[in-house]
Amino acid sequence: MSQTRKQLLTDPLVDNNPITLQVLGICSALAVTSSLNVAFVMSLAVIAVCGFSSLFISFLRHYIPNSIRIIVQMVIIASLVILVDQIIKAYAYEISKTLSVFVGLIITNCIVMGRAEAFAMKNKPFESFIDGVGNGLGYSLLLMAVGVIRELFGSGSLFGVMIFEPVSNGGWYVPNGLLLLPPSAFFIIGFIIWGVRTWKKSQVESREYKIQTIKEH
Amino acid sequence: MSNSNNIFTKFKELPVDGMTKTIVVAVSLCLVCSMVVSFAAVNLKNIQEINKAIDKQKNILQVAGVYYEGIDVKKTFSSFEPVVVDLNKGKFTNKFNPITFDDKAAAQDPELSISLNDDPASIGRRTNFATVYLLKKEDGSLDKIILPIHGYGLWSTLYGFIALEKNGNDIFGLQFYQHAETPGLGAEVDNPKWKAQWKGKKLNNDNGELMITVAKTQKNKEHHIDALAGATLTSNGVDNLVKFWMGESGFKKFLKNLQNGAA
Amino acid sequence: MSLRSYFNSLEPHFEKGGKYEKYYPIFEMVETIFFTSNTVTKVAPHARSYVDMKRVMTYVVISTIPCILWALYNTGLQTNSALASLGVEAQSGWRISFLQLTGLGINPDSLISNVFHGLLYFLPIYLTTLIAGGICEVTFATIRGHEVNEGFLVSSMLFALTLPASTPLWQVALGIAFGVVVGKEVFGGTGKNFLNPALTGRAFLYFAYPAYMSGDSIWTPVDGYSGATSLGIAAAEGYESLSNYGITWTDAFLGTIQGSLGETSTLACAIGLVFLLLTKIANYRMVVGCLAGMIVFSSFLNWIGSDTNPMFSMPWYWHLVIGSYAFGLVFMVTEPVSGSHTNLGRYIYGALIGFMVVMIRVLNPAFPEGMMLAILFGNIFAPLIDHFVVMANIKRRAKFSV
Repeated sequence: MSQTRKQLLTDPLVDNNPITLQVLGICSALAVTSSLNVAFVMSLAVIAVCGFSSLFISFLRHYIPNSIRIIVQMVIIASLVILVDQIIKAYAYEISKTLSVFVGLIITNCIVMGRAEAFAMKNKPFESFIDGVGNGLGYSLLLMAVGVIRELFGSGSLFGVMIFEPVSNGGWYVPNGLLLLPPSAFFIIGFIIWGVRTWKKSQVESREYKIQTIKEH
Repeated sequence: MSNSNNIFTKFKELPVDGMTKTIVVAVSLCLVCSMVVSFAAVNLKNIQEINKAIDKQKNILQVAGVYYEGIDVKKTFSSFEPVVVDLNKGKFTNKFNPITFDDKAAAQDPELSISLNDDPASIGRRTNFATVYLLKKEDGSLDKIILPIHGYGLWSTLYGFIALEKNGNDIFGLQFYQHAETPGLGAEVDNPKWKAQWKGKKLNNDNGELMITVAKTQKNKEHHIDALAGATLTSNGVDNLVKFWMGESGFKKFLKNLQNGAA
Repeated sequence: MSLRSYFNSLEPHFEKGGKYEKYYPIFEMVETIFFTSNTVTKVAPHARSYVDMKRVMTYVVISTIPCILWALYNTGLQTNSALASLGVEAQSGWRISFLQLTGLGINPDSLISNVFHGLLYFLPIYLTTLIAGGICEVTFATIRGHEVNEGFLVSSMLFALTLPASTPLWQVALGIAFGVVVGKEVFGGTGKNFLNPALTGRAFLYFAYPAYMSGDSIWTPVDGYSGATSLGIAAAEGYESLSNYGITWTDAFLGTIQGSLGETSTLACAIGLVFLLLTKIANYRMVVGCLAGMIVFSSFLNWIGSDTNPMFSMPWYWHLVIGSYAFGLVFMVTEPVSGSHTNLGRYIYGALIGFMVVMIRVLNPAFPEGMMLAILFGNIFAPLIDHFVVMANIKRRAKFSV
C-alpha cells in the first residue's frame, strides 16, 4: 500500500479522529457503549457502512447530479444500513435487541455523511473506500475505549466475561451504576479528548477569548 | 446493439445537472437500492423469525430452570407444550394455533381483549387469551406450568414469565426478559440472588386466598418476597403485576381448573 | 529566627527561576495560613474591601459549625438508639469497642456518648474528603500554576455533611475527587466553576452507587437496622403518618430524625444562615427567591390535590424541615460563584430552585429528595438568567438614551 493510502487509513485513528477531534457521531457512542459486545458489533456495522458507502458514492461521483447529491448519498447509505441491520437481526439476534434503533440511526451518523460529501465525491473509489474504513476504525477505536471503561467499571466484566466479581454475586466489586447510564459516556469522551489533546498539543483549539490579568507594577 | 450503445453514450454526454440525467439517475438508483434491500429482507426473514422464536423459548427454558449456556434450545423446548388459555373461562381453548398466537397483539385487539377498570398492573388492556407452556415429564405427566406476566414498574413495562410447580401453587421461579428499570436499583429484578427468593414460595394460603406479596416488611414467610433495596416503585410494580396475573382477572381460574382436571 | 524570616528565606526557591518554582502554589498555601498575602492590586481604580476570598471562605466554614455539632450529636443519637433497640451485644466494630473501652458506653441518653459516637463516624469521612480532595486540588494547582484556595475547605466540609453516615470511605474519596476535578478544576478552578463542586461529587455518588445513597438501611450505620427518611415515609404514606413513626414537626425542625450527616436540623442551618446574612456572605435575594418558589409551588400543589400521590398534600412548612432543603438553601443556593450574579437574576435563580425541589419531590416517583438535583439544575441555568437580565437592562437603558 502506498504511503498516502496508508495515511488515509491511519490518520483518522488518533491524529484526525472523527470523535475526539471533530466531535462527530457521539450520539450512538453514548447509546451503545454500556457493553462491549454491542459496541463491537456497532463498530463493525459503522466500518462496513462507512467503507462501502464511500466506495459506491465514489464510483458514481461523475454521474451524481449536483442538485440531488445529498439525497443520492442518503439513499446509498440508507440502503447499506438496512442491509446491515437485516444481517445483524439474522445472525446476531441477541445483540440486535440491545442495538435496536441505533443501527438504523447510522444513517444519520455525521461521520458517514461527512466522509461521503467531503472525500468520496472528489476521490477515486479505492482511496474513498480506505478513507471510509479508516474513519470507521477511528470511530470504533473510541467506541471500544469507552466501552471497556463502561463495561469493566459499570458491570465488572469485559465482553460479558466476569473480571471483577460484583458484590451482588458474592464478590468484592461494587459496580458503578453511573457508568451504565448514557450520560457517563459524555464524561468519558470528555476525559479521552482531554488526554488526547494533552498528548497531541496540535489538536488544541485556539482560544476564543483570553482572560486578561492586570500587570503588576 | 449499436443502438443501445448509442443511447448509453448519448446519455453519458448529457450534462450532469440536466433534467433527464437527474431523473434517470434518481430512478435507477432507487430501483437498484430497493431491489437490494428487498432481496435481503425477503431472504433473511426466515432466519430472523426463527431467532425470535428461539429467543422466546430460551426465556421460557430459563424460568423453568433448565437453561444453561450452549444448550440446544429447540430440542429442549420440545418437552414444553404451548397451549392457549381462555382467561375468562379459565380453560384451554383450541380456537388459535398456540405456535403462532401472539399475546401482545391480542392485547391490542378489541375483540380479543378487555379494557381494565381495575388495573393495578397498569397494562391498560388485558388479553382474553394467553399462551401458557406446560413442561411435561418423560412419562407425559405435568411437571411445571409457565405463565406469561407483565406490568408497569417505574420507567417501563416489565415482561416476564412465572413458573409454577404442578400443584399450581408453589412458585418455581420468576424471570423478566424485557424491562428498562434503573441500573443498580430496579434492574436488580435480574439479580439471581433476588430471583432465588421466589423458589418455594406459595401463591395462596390453605383457604385459597392470594397471599403472595413483595414488600419490605415480612408478614408471612411462606408468601413473602423481600422488596428490592432502594427500588420501592419497581418492587411495587412487581408486587402488583404478580398479584394481578395470579388473581381472579389473571390465571387463578385456570390454575384451579387445571388442578380439578376441568381445564 | 522568626516565622516571617523563615518564610522569607524559603521564598526565593519557589519564585520564578528558583529550584522549586513548580511548587510555588504549595508554598503560597502554607505561607498564607500564617500571613496575609503580599500580592495586592496596585493600580486604580479598584473596589476596596476588607473581605478577601480567604475571609469569605472562612466565614462559610464557621457558619457550618452548628450543623457539624448537630451532625455529631444526631448521628450518635440515631446510632445509639438503633443499637439500644437491637441489643448492643449483637453488634461489634471498632467504634463500639472504643466507646466501651473508654467507658462512654452506648447510651442514647448520654450527650457525650452520642457526640463521641457521631465523631467516630464524621471524622473518618471528613478526613478522607480532605486528603482525597486535597490531593486533586494540589495536583491541579501545581500543574496549572494557580493558588490552592480556601474554597476547597468549604467544598470538602459541605460534601462531608451531605453524606449518609454509613458511606464507605472509598466512595467518599471517589466522590470528592470527581467533584473537585469535574465540578471545578476542568473549568479553571475556584471562581470559574459553574457547578457547585460539593454537589457535583454528591450527585456522582448518588447515580454511581444508588444503593449506598438511597434506601432505608443506610441512614443509620447499624447492620440490620432499617429506617426510612422522613421524606421516604412522606412519599410512601403521606406526611400525616410521620407521627406514627414518632416524628413531629418539632423533631424535624430540631433534627432528631434520620438523614445525611449535616442536613437533619433546620435550626442549625438557620443559625448558619443568620450568620451568613449578617456578614453579608450570603445574598438574601437568593434565599428569599428560593423560599418563595418552594412555598408558592407547594401551596399550589396542596390546592390541586391528588388521590394517588400523598406528596401533593404536604404543606410548605414540612417541605422546609425534612430532607436537605434547609441545608441546601443555606449553604448551596447562596454559593456566589455558581449562582446568578445580577440582583434580579438572584431572585429568579432562587425561585427556580424552590420550584424544582417541590417538582422533583412531589411529581417524580424515582427520587424522593430533590434539593441536590434542583440546585445543580439552577446552577446550569444561572448564566442564562444573568444573560437575560443584562439584556433586559441594556434594552431598558437604550430607550432612555435616544
